[in-house]
Amino acid sequence: MSKDVLVIGGGIAGMQASLDLADQGIKVHLVERLPSIGGKMAQLDKTFPTNDCAI
Amino acid sequence: MAYSEAEEVKGEAGNFTVKVRKKARYVEEDICTGCGICAEKCPIRVPDEYNMGLGKRKAIYRYFPQGIPAVFTIDSLHCTALKGKKCEVCVKVCEAKAINFEQGDRMVDLNVGAIILSTGYEVFDPSVIETYRYKSIPNVITSLEFERLLSAGGPTGGHLERPSDIAMRDELKALERRLGTAKSTIERFEKQYEKSTEEFYRDYKAGQLGDERDYKEWAVAHERLKDPELNKRFEELKAKEPTFHKAKSVAFVQCAGSRDLRFNFWCCSYGCMHSVKEAICAREHEPKMQSSIFYMDLRAHGKGFEEYCVRGAAEYGIQFVRARVAEITESPEDSKPLVWYEDAVTGKVEKQPFDLAVLVTACVPSKGIDKLSQMMGFKLDEAGFVKTDPASPVDTTVKGIFVCGCAQGPMDIPDSVSQASAAVSRAAQVIEKYG
Repeated sequence: MSKDVLVIGGGIAGMQASLDLADQGIKVHLVERLPSIGGKMAQLDKTFPTNDCAI
Repeated sequence: MAYSEAEEVKGEAGNFTVKVRKKARYVEEDICTGCGICAEKCPIRVPDEYNMGLGKRKAIYRYFPQGIPAVFTIDSLHCTALKGKKCEVCVKVCEAKAINFEQGDRMVDLNVGAIILSTGYEVFDPSVIETYRYKSIPNVITSLEFERLLSAGGPTGGHLERPSDIAMRDELKALERRLGTAKSTIERFEKQYEKSTEEFYRDYKAGQLGDERDYKEWAVAHERLKDPELNKRFEELKAKEPTFHKAKSVAFVQCAGSRDLRFNFWCCSYGCMHSVKEAICAREHEPKMQSSIFYMDLRAHGKGFEEYCVRGAAEYGIQFVRARVAEITESPEDSKPLVWYEDAVTGKVEKQPFDLAVLVTACVPSKGIDKLSQMMGFKLDEAGFVKTDPASPVDTTVKGIFVCGCAQGPMDIPDSVSQASAAVSRAAQVIEKYG
């Protein structure tokens, strides 16, 4: 039995999920295939509809 | 755990055991300071996947400058030292002594109560759409490639240079370097042996000088400098150099591989808005920019989206053309893509030249999702995304395993984020009950 959670994929969804879990005091293991987290969103320059910077 | 993959999952809600492979970076994560001297000195240059191959990175690299964890990784496919050849420059320059060629993959066992899948999506490869000629016309690019060209941290520093010009400029620089090296070699030997190259080469060819290393090098340099093909190409590129220019007109070709029964039947859901955003940003970079968006129907379905499209047309001069692009050809004299389409309003077949044609590519399931589905037992839907029920959109078909973001289906950032929070809430319920 365990109260930890595994998140597979460190893009925007995985990062948000991990932060939410950690904020609730739940231990998270985030696994990402690439050398850095960030996913596709990190490749974007700006985001719609506010033109905020993606990184 | 970045640079890791889940390889085995067993158990049930409240009690899953997972084996994770932590891939070898050949750099000690807790010692590396991220200073970057290793990458500066590394002699191997390879295409940079973060910049969609438009730029170059070294064999020891950071996936992107702000990447977390802020440590370097050696790419075992390209590092020559890992292939048993002499190099290890990084070892010599690393002050923290963080490089470790002996490091191997490490297996980590985890015990967790719930699992959240957020494995994302893949960008559809549009080269299979023959009429769009993605691979054969250099100035036909994908929207993610355009994004990298727009980015101040991208390969062109945010200048909208055309890929055809980038390629020709790189070739010209390489040729200049080759011819320059040959010239300085010749000058060095002329001085050393106090002999003109013509005289030397005549004697060398006549076999009067023997096969000394210097002579060989001298002859090779002379032949290279006189090589008619190299010189011809150099002159050609030099003549074209004044025509290199930044993009001033862009065509966005919507639904490249989406809503098309030959490729993917579904809508990518963010492509329309993504193009409007890219067109707005392009105009901010280049005040004379003319963008046309060729669309089937414009799907501006989120909060503030419709207003964004209206603003794009009114303030940033975006032309919305209702048409499905039939074909893209290239005008040979200026490397401009010619976009052929039937205007749905006038019913006329038109062709229009642009500096760049951007293919707004489909969103397809990520490559590893089949394997994960077999390993963990959850089902996929007919498109290949993780199967869910409309009334419980973050529950997979396996209890205790949840999904969020584009792993579930195409969606934009606000939707991914809200799904992530929903999946967390479901996971918290499961670990409370069974964990």
